[in-house]
Amino acid sequence: MASPRAPLPGLALAAAFLVLAALPLLLGASNYLLGLLISALILAGVALAWALLGNLGGMVSFGHAAFFGVGGYASALLAGKLGLPVLLTVPLGGLLAALASLAMLPALRLSGPYFALAILAYAQIFRILATEASSLTGGAAGLQRYPGLPTVFGLDLASRPGAYALLVALVALGCLAYAAIRRSALGLALRAIAESEDATRVVGVNSVLLKAWMLALSAFITGLFGALNAHIIGFLEPDYAFAGSWSVLPIIASVFGGYRTVLGPVGGAVVIYLFDQVVAKGLIAVGHQILLGLLLVAMVLAAPNGLLGLLERKGGARAGA
Amino acid sequence: MLALEAVTVRFGGLVALREVSFTVAQGEVLGLVGPNGAGKTTLFNAISGLIRPRGRILFEDRDITRAPLHRRARLGIGRSFQIPQPMKHLTVRENLEVAQVFGAGRRDPARLTEILEVMDLGGQADREADGALALQELKRLEIAKALATEPRLLLLDEVLAGLESGAKRAFAAKLRELHARFALTIVIVEHDIETILGLCSRAVVLDFGQVIADGAPAAVFRDPKVVASYTGAVDA
Repeated sequence: MASPRAPLPGLALAAAFLVLAALPLLLGASNYLLGLLISALILAGVALAWALLGNLGGMVSFGHAAFFGVGGYASALLAGKLGLPVLLTVPLGGLLAALASLAMLPALRLSGPYFALAILAYAQIFRILATEASSLTGGAAGLQRYPGLPTVFGLDLASRPGAYALLVALVALGCLAYAAIRRSALGLALRAIAESEDATRVVGVNSVLLKAWMLALSAFITGLFGALNAHIIGFLEPDYAFAGSWSVLPIIASVFGGYRTVLGPVGGAVVIYLFDQVVAKGLIAVGHQILLGLLLVAMVLAAPNGLLGLLERKGGARAGA
Repeated sequence: MLALEAVTVRFGGLVALREVSFTVAQGEVLGLVGPNGAGKTTLFNAISGLIRPRGRILFEDRDITRAPLHRRARLGIGRSFQIPQPMKHLTVRENLEVAQVFGAGRRDPARLTEILEVMDLGGQADREADGALALQELKRLEIAKALATEPRLLLLDEVLAGLESGAKRAFAAKLRELHARFALTIVIVEHDIETILGLCSRAVVLDFGQVIADGAPAAVFRDPKVVASYTGAVDA
C-alpha cells in the first residue's frame, strides 16, 4: 500500500490532469469523443467519491446510485421548478445528497458486508420515491424541462468542450481534496479505523462521527456529479438516475484503477468506460458489460492493487533493471 | 482519582465482575492481580469504556459510566491491550500522531519524539506498525500510544508478560520512570509477584470477579484467601 506520506499528490496529480485536459485537442476534439470523455469523467467523480469512503473508513458501499440520483433530481427540480440558477442548484444537489446520507447513520455501526447490504437496500428506497412521487418528479416518465449548464465568463458550459473543462477541473479538485484528507491526521485515523477500530477509539477517535463525515462527503461529491450529469444530458428518469450501474461501475472503476490510491479510481473510470463504449460494445452489442467483468477479473488476478499498482510495479522493475 | 462503585459485568449467565468497589488515589501505582479468568481485563474494559457495566465509575469525580470509549481517552484515561492492537498500515510515528491529535487534542511533534525515545522506539518510528515490529516492540508501542494521549491514568494490561526476569526488571524500571516523568497514576495487571512487590504501592486481588484482598502488596500476598485462590485450596 502506498504510504500517505509519499510525495505523490502535487506534481503527479498536476501532470495527470494536464494530460487529461489536453486529450480532446490531441484526439481532434470530435463531439463523439468529448461526449465519451464527459461520461467517463462523471463516472470518475463518482468512483473517486466511492473510493474515498472505501479507503478512508473502510466502508464498502453498494448504494452510491442513491446519492447520484438524489443529486440529479434535487438540482433539476430546484432549477426547473423554483428557477434557481444552475450554478447554485448543482452544489445544492450535492448538499441534499449529503443530507440523504444522514438516513444511513444507524448503519455506520455495522461493518463489512452488513454495511454494504444496508446501503444497497437504502438505495432502492430513493428510486421508489422518485417513481412514486410523480407530481414532483414526473414519476416513471421522468423530468425533461429544466435548464442546462449556463455560460460563465464567456465559456459555454453546456457545450461539450465547456462541460469537459468543468468536469476536468472538478475531478482535479476532488483528487486534491482526497489527497489532502488522506495525508491529514483525520485521514490517518480513518485509514486506521478501517482495520483497527477499537485501537483508534481507545486513543480518543470518535470513529462513528468520522465515518459519518466521510459518508456525507462521499455523498456530496456523488450528488454533485449526479447534478452535473442531469444538466448535461437534459433528462432524468428513476430507472436511469438511480440505476444500479451508478453503484456498480464506480466499484469496478476503483478496483480496476487501484482504490487505495488517489488517481486509481479516476484512471480506472476513464479506461473502463472507454473500453466498454469503444471496444466491448463493438464486440457484443447487447450484454457488453460482461467484458467489463472479465477485464476486472483479469486485473484483480494480475495486479490486485489495480492499474496504478501495476504501473508502479512496471516502473519500479524498469528502474531497477 | 478513580472510584469504582459496585461495578458489575455479566456476559449472559456468567458474572464476570460482581460488585467490584475500590478507589485509586492520584499518583498511585496499583497492581491488579488474580488468576486467569478473575476479571482483570474485563475491569479494564469497563473502566476504559469497551463494555458498559452496571454500577458507577467515577474519574476525577466525574461519572463516566456511560461515557463512550473515545471520550474517556480524551478525559485522560489511557490503556494498553494485552494483545497489542497497533493501528495497522500506519507507521509507528503516525500511530502516535493520531493518538496525540485525537486524544490530547493538540499537535506536539517534540513530545512525540520524546515518547518514542523514552519507549526505545526511535529507530522504528518510520516503520509500519503492523508486521514490522517484534512483540515486545508492539507492547512498547501500546504504551507509547497511550502516553501520546497525555493520560493521567494509565491502565497497563500484562505489558511485562513474556519477558525473562532481567528484561522484566528493566521494564519495571522503565514504568517507574514513566510514572515520575509524566506524573501518572498507573493500574497494572501483572501475574509476577516480584514485579508487583517491586513496582506497586498497593495491590488489589480479584478472584471470580470479586475483590478478595486490597492493601500493601506484601501483606496481600500473605493473605490466606489470596494464597488459596492461586493454589486452588478450599477454605476449611
